[in-house]
Amino acid sequence: MIDKKAIAEILKAAQRHGADFAEYFWEHKETVGIFAEENKIERINSGIDEGVGIRVIHGASTSYAHTNDISLPRLLEIADQAGKAAQKEAAVPSTLDFTTPPAPAAFRVEIPPQEIKLEDKTALCLSANAAARRIDPRVRQVTVSYGDVRQDVVIANSDGRYVEDSRTRTRIAVNAIAAENDVIQTGYYAAGGVTGFELFKEYSPDVLGEKAAARAVLMLSAQSAPSGKMPVVMAAKAGGTMVHEACGHGLEADLVQKGLSVYGGKRGEQVASPIVTVIDDALIPGKYGSLRYDDEGQPGEKTVLIKDGVLKDFMYDYQCAKKEGRSSTGNGRRESYHSRPFPRMRNTYIASGKTDPEKIIKEVKAGLLVTAMGGGQVNTTNGDYVFDVAEGYLIKDGAIAAPVRGATLTGNGPGTLRMIELVGNDLGYTIGVCGKEGQGVPVSDAQPTMLVKELIVGGRGESKGNGQIRRI
Amino acid sequence: MADELRQSAEKVLQLACDKNGVQAEVYLLDAEDKRIEVSGLSVENMKIAQERGLGLRIIKDGCLGYAYTSDWGEPALKLVVEQALHNAQQTQPDEYWELPEQTNAYQPMALFDEATFAVPIEDKIKLAQEMEEAAKSADKRIRLVEKAVYQEAFYRTFIMNSKGLSGEYRGSYCGIYTVALGSENQDNQTGMAMQFARKYSELEAPRIGREAAAKAVRMLGAQSIASAVLPVVLDPYIGTNFLGVLQTPFSGEAVLKGKSFYRGKGGKSVAGPLVTIIDDGSMPKRLGSAPFDGEGVPSQETVLIEQGRLTGLLHNLYTAQKSGVSSTGNSVRGSYKSTPEVGITNFYMAPGEKSPQEIIGELPKGLYVTDVMGMHTANPVSGDFSLGAAGLLIENGELTRPVKGVAIAGNLQEILMDVDAVGNDLTFFVTKGAPTLRIKAMSVSG
Repeated sequence: MIDKKAIAEILKAAQRHGADFAEYFWEHKETVGIFAEENKIERINSGIDEGVGIRVIHGASTSYAHTNDISLPRLLEIADQAGKAAQKEAAVPSTLDFTTPPAPAAFRVEIPPQEIKLEDKTALCLSANAAARRIDPRVRQVTVSYGDVRQDVVIANSDGRYVEDSRTRTRIAVNAIAAENDVIQTGYYAAGGVTGFELFKEYSPDVLGEKAAARAVLMLSAQSAPSGKMPVVMAAKAGGTMVHEACGHGLEADLVQKGLSVYGGKRGEQVASPIVTVIDDALIPGKYGSLRYDDEGQPGEKTVLIKDGVLKDFMYDYQCAKKEGRSSTGNGRRESYHSRPFPRMRNTYIASGKTDPEKIIKEVKAGLLVTAMGGGQVNTTNGDYVFDVAEGYLIKDGAIAAPVRGATLTGNGPGTLRMIELVGNDLGYTIGVCGKEGQGVPVSDAQPTMLVKELIVGGRGESKGNGQIRRI
Repeated sequence: MADELRQSAEKVLQLACDKNGVQAEVYLLDAEDKRIEVSGLSVENMKIAQERGLGLRIIKDGCLGYAYTSDWGEPALKLVVEQALHNAQQTQPDEYWELPEQTNAYQPMALFDEATFAVPIEDKIKLAQEMEEAAKSADKRIRLVEKAVYQEAFYRTFIMNSKGLSGEYRGSYCGIYTVALGSENQDNQTGMAMQFARKYSELEAPRIGREAAAKAVRMLGAQSIASAVLPVVLDPYIGTNFLGVLQTPFSGEAVLKGKSFYRGKGGKSVAGPLVTIIDDGSMPKRLGSAPFDGEGVPSQETVLIEQGRLTGLLHNLYTAQKSGVSSTGNSVRGSYKSTPEVGITNFYMAPGEKSPQEIIGELPKGLYVTDVMGMHTANPVSGDFSLGAAGLLIENGELTRPVKGVAIAGNLQEILMDVDAVGNDLTFFVTKGAPTLRIKAMSVSG
C-alpha cells in the first residue's frame, strides 16, 4: 500500500504544474456476485479491483487520471499527466500536514459478509428461488442475484485532508417471470444496504421471492393502464423514484451552477406545496445510500433541501462548494476510482406528513394508485420527468379497484411538487442505482403516501376489443 | 500486447491447467481511454484512464467458475486460480458448458488507426471547441452548450484456452458528442448529436455542433397534445433505442429460459414484411467489429429477422450447444471482470427504400418522435413499454410544431408488426443502428 509520505509526493507531483488542488483516491474493492436462475446457481464471480484516481483542479478545469497499476513510479507519472492540464509553473508547498475530520457516524457491520461461507450465500439464493416458485405454477422463471462488496478507500488532498474508510454493502434482488398463454409479466423485489449479512434478519430472502412472484402473477391478470391526466396516489411502499427524478437531480449543485436546472436561482422561494419537506440524509444507519465520508473525504450529513415547500439548499461536492465559498454537503460521490466525483444523492426522501394513508385513497373519485415504482428519468433543464409503474391499481370512488400494467407517469418536477395535496404519516424506502453521467452509485429514496392532483398516465388505455382511448 | 502481461495470462492458464480435469480460459484486456469535455471554450474535464486485467473462466466436472484480477503479482495470479476453482465448487454442473476449439478462421481486420493517436491533444481540444462554437453560433437562441466532448479509446484483447485456442487483436475508436441548450420565453430545450468512428479524420465537429443546435431550437415552445391514437414516425436515434431493447429477446439464453417472446417463434412472422434485423460482427470499420467474440469464436453475420420472419437468434457456445445449433459469435464481455454473456456486436435494422421526407410526407396527421424518456424502463420480457416522448407534430405531411410532455405506450412485438415504412437513412449510434421507421398507430397520451 502507498503510505502517507508517498501520497504527499504524488499530490505534489500532481500540483507541480501549478494546479489549485490535487486529490488522491485509492480504492480496494472485493466483490462476490452470485446469480441463480433455472432453479440452480448458474454463476459465481468474485474478484478484487484495486486502483488509484488522481484528480487535479485548476481554475474551472478538472483533469482526472486513473490506473490499476499501483506502483509509485506509475502513480507519479499519472499525477504528472493529470497535472499538466494546468499550464503555469508554480511553487508547491513543501510539506503537507494531513488531518482527518471526525466521522459523524459509525456504521457497524454486525456480520461481515466475508465471514460467511459461500455455500450459505448460495443457499440463500436457492431458498428465495424456491419460495418464489411455490407461489404459483405460472411462475416460469426466477432470477436471484446476490452481491456483497467491501470497499476500502484512502482519500487525501492538497488541502491536507486525509481519510481512510471501509464500506460494506450487501444486496439481494429477485426477478420473477410469470407466463400464461401469450402474456409474460415480471415482478421485482430487492433489498440492500450499507450493512452486512444482518440485512437478511430484516429482509427474508424467501419473503422477497414470494413478493416478486406474487407481483408477476398479479400482473398477468392486470388490464392495460388508462391514459391521460388523472389524480395519482403514490403509496409509501412504492418507494421514492418520483422524488429522486422530480426534484433530487435538479437540486444537484453542478447542474444548478451550469444553468441546467429548473430549480436554479430559486433558493428561498416556494417551489413545492407547503406540506412538502425534502431531505437527503447520509447518516441513516444501514440504508443503501448511507455514508460516513463521501468520496472526497467530506463527512456525511443530513441536508434539508426543501423545508415546508421552500427551497433551502442544494447538494454540493468540493468543487461546487468552492465556487460559492461554502462547505460541501458531503454529496461528492463516485462509482469507483475510474471516475471523478460529482454531486450525487444519498438517501433522499420526502418527510412524513400528518394524514392517515387510508384516508388519502378515499379522497380520490377516479384515479391511479401506484404501489411499486420502477426506474425513471428526468430532463433537469425543464424539469420534465417520467417514472415507471411496476404495480398499480385503479381507484374508483375512494376504493382500490382492478390492477393495471404498462404505465409510465409523466410530469414536471416543480409542477408535481406544487400539486401534492396530501402527505401521509408513513414512509417507505426502496433501493436503486443512480446512473447520472453513466456512473452508478447506490442510493435509496423514500416517500410517504401522497396524493398528486394530476399526472399524465401513459397507459395504452384500450377498453376491450375496440382500440378506443378511454379518458378518465 | 506488453509481453509481461501476456506471460502472466499464460501463467494463469498453466496454473489452472495443472489442476486435474480442468478446462480453462483466460481473457486479458489492456485498455486506455481519454475524454475531453469542453465548456465555455475551456477544458472543463479531462480524463485519462488505463485499465488492465484478466479474467479466468474454468469448467470442472461440468461446473463453471469465474474470477478476475487487476493485480499482476504472483500471489494474486495464484489466488485468481484458487478463487475460480472455489466458485466452481458452488455452482451446479451443466453438461453444456464447453470452451471453443482451436480455429484458424479469424479474419484480419483493420480496427486500429495509428493516425488517431498521432494527433496532438491540443488539436483534439480544438476539435471539441469547434463543435461547441458551431453549436453556439448556429442560432442566437442557443443559450449555452451543456457539454462538448471528444473521446478516444485504445484496447488490446488476448484470449487463450486449454484447448489450444489463441487469439489477439487491437483496436481503437474515437467520437464526439455535444448537448446544446436553447432558450426562449423561459422555455428550455436540449438537443444532442454524436458521431463515433474508427478514424479521427472522419469526425465532423462543425456538423455535429450544428445538428445539436438545430435539434434544441426546433423544440422551443413545445406543448402537449390531446390523447389520441396516431401514426408515429421514429427518427433513427429513437428507432435505435427501441432496437436496443430487442437485444434481450433475441438472446438464445433468454429464449432457453422462457424470458423471450421469441421462444417457439422460429420461422414465424414476428414483424411487418419491411423489417429485417441483423447482427454482424464482421462488418468492416464498424465499432462492434472484431475477429472473434468474448470466448474466441469467429465473428459472423446473423440475420435475426428477415422480411418479418424470425430467422435467427444470438448465441454463445453454451446457448448454442444447449439449443443444438452453432455459436453465432455473440459471446460478449463487459470487461475482464465479468463472465462472457450473450450480447450484440453491430446490431441494426436494414434500410428500406423511402426517404424520411416521403415517410413523413405521406401522413395527414402523426407524431415524429425525436426524444424519449425512460427507455430503460421498457420491459424486454413482456415487450411492454410506456415512455415520455417529445418530437414534432405532423400535419398534412409537414412537421408543424414541437410537442412535449406526452407519453407513448405499446408493446414491442406489436409495433414491429405495425411498421409500415422503413427509411433509406440507416444511421449507426456506436454499435447499434436503425433507419427512420413509421408505426401505423400508437397510443399517445397528453
